[in-house]
Amino acid sequence: MRYIKNSSWYIRLAFILSVIGPGIIAANADNDAGGITTYSIAGAHFGTKMLWVLFLITFSLAITQEMGVRIGLVTRQGLAGVIRENFGLRLTAFAMILMLIANIGTITAEFAGVAAAFSIFGWSKYLVVPISALAVWFILYKGSFKTTQKIFLLFSFFYIVYIVNGFVVGPDFGQAAKSLITPTIEWTMPFLVTMIALIGTTITPWGQFFIQSYVVDKGLEAKHYRIERWEVFFGAFVTNIVSFFIIISTAATLYKHGIHITDASDAARALEPLAGQLAQILFAFGLFVASMLGAFILPTATAYAFCEAFGWESGFDTTWKSGKTFYGIILACIVVPVIIVLIPKISLIKIMVLSQDINGILLPFILLFVMKIINDRRIMGEHVNKPIGNIISWLTIVGILVATAALLVISFIGYY
Amino acid sequence: MLYLSQILGGRVEDSADQVVGRLKDILVESKPGNYARIVFLLVKSKKGEDIFIPYEYVESLGRQTVDLKNIFDKINLAPTPSRCIYLSRDILDQQIVDVDGARVVRVNDLSLGIFEDQMCVLGVDVSFRGILRRLGVAWLDPFRLVSVHLVDWRKVQPVKGALKLDTISSDLRKLHPADLANIIEDLNLHHGTKLVNSLESREAAKVLEELNPHLQKILIKHLGPAKAGRIIEKMSTDEIADLMQLFSQKEAQKYLSLLQDSRVEKVTKLIKYEDDTAGGLMNTDFISGHPDWTVAQMIEEIRKYSPDMRSITFVYVVDNFGKFLGPVSLRNLLLADNKEKLKELYKSADRLATLRPDYPLDKVVNLMTKYDLYSAAVISHDGKIAGVVTIDDVMRCLAPKA
Repeated sequence: MRYIKNSSWYIRLAFILSVIGPGIIAANADNDAGGITTYSIAGAHFGTKMLWVLFLITFSLAITQEMGVRIGLVTRQGLAGVIRENFGLRLTAFAMILMLIANIGTITAEFAGVAAAFSIFGWSKYLVVPISALAVWFILYKGSFKTTQKIFLLFSFFYIVYIVNGFVVGPDFGQAAKSLITPTIEWTMPFLVTMIALIGTTITPWGQFFIQSYVVDKGLEAKHYRIERWEVFFGAFVTNIVSFFIIISTAATLYKHGIHITDASDAARALEPLAGQLAQILFAFGLFVASMLGAFILPTATAYAFCEAFGWESGFDTTWKSGKTFYGIILACIVVPVIIVLIPKISLIKIMVLSQDINGILLPFILLFVMKIINDRRIMGEHVNKPIGNIISWLTIVGILVATAALLVISFIGYY
Repeated sequence: MLYLSQILGGRVEDSADQVVGRLKDILVESKPGNYARIVFLLVKSKKGEDIFIPYEYVESLGRQTVDLKNIFDKINLAPTPSRCIYLSRDILDQQIVDVDGARVVRVNDLSLGIFEDQMCVLGVDVSFRGILRRLGVAWLDPFRLVSVHLVDWRKVQPVKGALKLDTISSDLRKLHPADLANIIEDLNLHHGTKLVNSLESREAAKVLEELNPHLQKILIKHLGPAKAGRIIEKMSTDEIADLMQLFSQKEAQKYLSLLQDSRVEKVTKLIKYEDDTAGGLMNTDFISGHPDWTVAQMIEEIRKYSPDMRSITFVYVVDNFGKFLGPVSLRNLLLADNKEKLKELYKSADRLATLRPDYPLDKVVNLMTKYDLYSAAVISHDGKIAGVVTIDDVMRCLAPKA
């Protein structure tokens, strides 16, 4: 019996991609416009000083994603649904609004990423952002969401060039290794803003929703849990390896020469050791693809989560009439960010970083829901958290809260 | 109109105005097709214990307070009741099936009221207004632009908790398998599986056929081999073939081993054909007859095999060597004399549009449209009939989203 027929290349490609698990996908999608910008700035403005944060949050990312997988396997529904069924309507509305703010922020970063990528070639954002927004809407509405998502995911493996680049630059790996385990902190606003953004772009509220929905949609079974757990850990490791190399690439090039990133072409220069003249084009391509990937996934993920929480009809097979809320949310999630990006003279780089700060600041609240769920025996049965998971999660939550509090205090008293 | 959200958490006072505790939940007895009667209040006492107060002791159920008829010491508290639905725990905020609308909704609130002298749950609020009310921000909409949408309690099917055959509303079972499939696609997997489990195998098989392939696969795995085997047995052969292709070879073998050998043989044959060809589309369950049979014999044969068939519109006349001669429509059988022989009735295959197993989908569509066929026989190169493509098989390929 032949189970896989002789089929066209794209079906085979889809099959191969379908084997890639949620951990790697979610992790890869983490390296979006906000991600690459934040990591570039972390390296360009602060050298390797923030590597220890990256080192620690690799564990946080692994643990939080694993919790998402576990909740998905046990409850067989998305995070929004679990929150609704266990916390009532008020807290659900609270969680959903937080998620909406964070996601709108991230989508804004994605469209800013599109604008920034084309600004390298001198194209106006007033042209490229509306066109790409239309493209996103059109493909979501008419085309296949899943295929498109996979194609962009494939492209986003582009970030591997940063790893190669990292070796070409020949940075001081000894210094980098030392920075990984030496906590350094500057009690200044730029440092804290970048640090919270670094956390917020690595562990995201939407990532928490995404991984759980993914497990549910794929119909993964409890017996896959052990493999799935390692896959998630591996994904967290891989994504942060890439982040690590972005930081040391920018640290060894931009930081060394005291170049501050004010637009995308500055960030692109970090790739010059590898790509030379092509660095700008390569960077623009990578930024564009990563931005589009996020711009596809996030509005849809937001709409699905809202519909799950409030019981509205969802899915692209619904009609305009019955699915108007679903489509409405998607539209709003595209239109609002586009308007923000099109505000004249707004700094694209700042949008990309500050949106990650919003994610970082809101993250602890979403994680609190996750923690409450995963430690509830009525929901999780025997699959509640082990102490190690709780310790790492609580440290993450407390760490972000402390950093946010410090940022608030410093912005009040004015930084030195 | 009294809503559950307005009374939950309210003070419970006895006849001496002593506070007994706070209202934590309401327990109802639900029978399919009836409004659910309130039988107990679950009250969190001042000491923090959960106590069950039978509803007979309730004087009034109000927005701020629940008044009891007796003083607390005179009330016989009930032990933890079984077979009751907890409104807040099992219904509020959960998914529920709106049977009339054939859709899955989330319960935003429940409306309570008197029906035949008894306090009952009358309706399920699924509207945005219900969300506003529960968030305490209904004042945002003073002109009531957002209207309340209540679904009659008798027309809903709760899915949380044990779902037994006797608690399933008969209206739900009467739904078309395609509608039931849509509902199952919208429920979470646990509830969807329970719903399928509560159906009779034949009905479950029809529902399963209507599910999208991805969910078919997940559901079959989740049902477990015993139940899955019983359901697969009742599916039509072409659907089984499609289903088996979703699984790995090892898993497919496991499920096929639950079927009869003759069935397995047919399935294996079908799997060999390409998906989007006449061979991949066709069904091998059809009724054939001999040219010398009389109409009466043929009808007897149809009676015998009918229970195993999804639909019958034609019977296929085949000679001693298995060569296909031609079809006879049920209509012609019905009109013909009982003693007439099939060889006088069939339409010769030479003058008919028939399909070859390797015809691609668009050719099948064109032929069937051109000759206005509801079904077409698929003839293999040796002149034998391999199967039948019916219009619904083709439609499913053309409109996969429906």
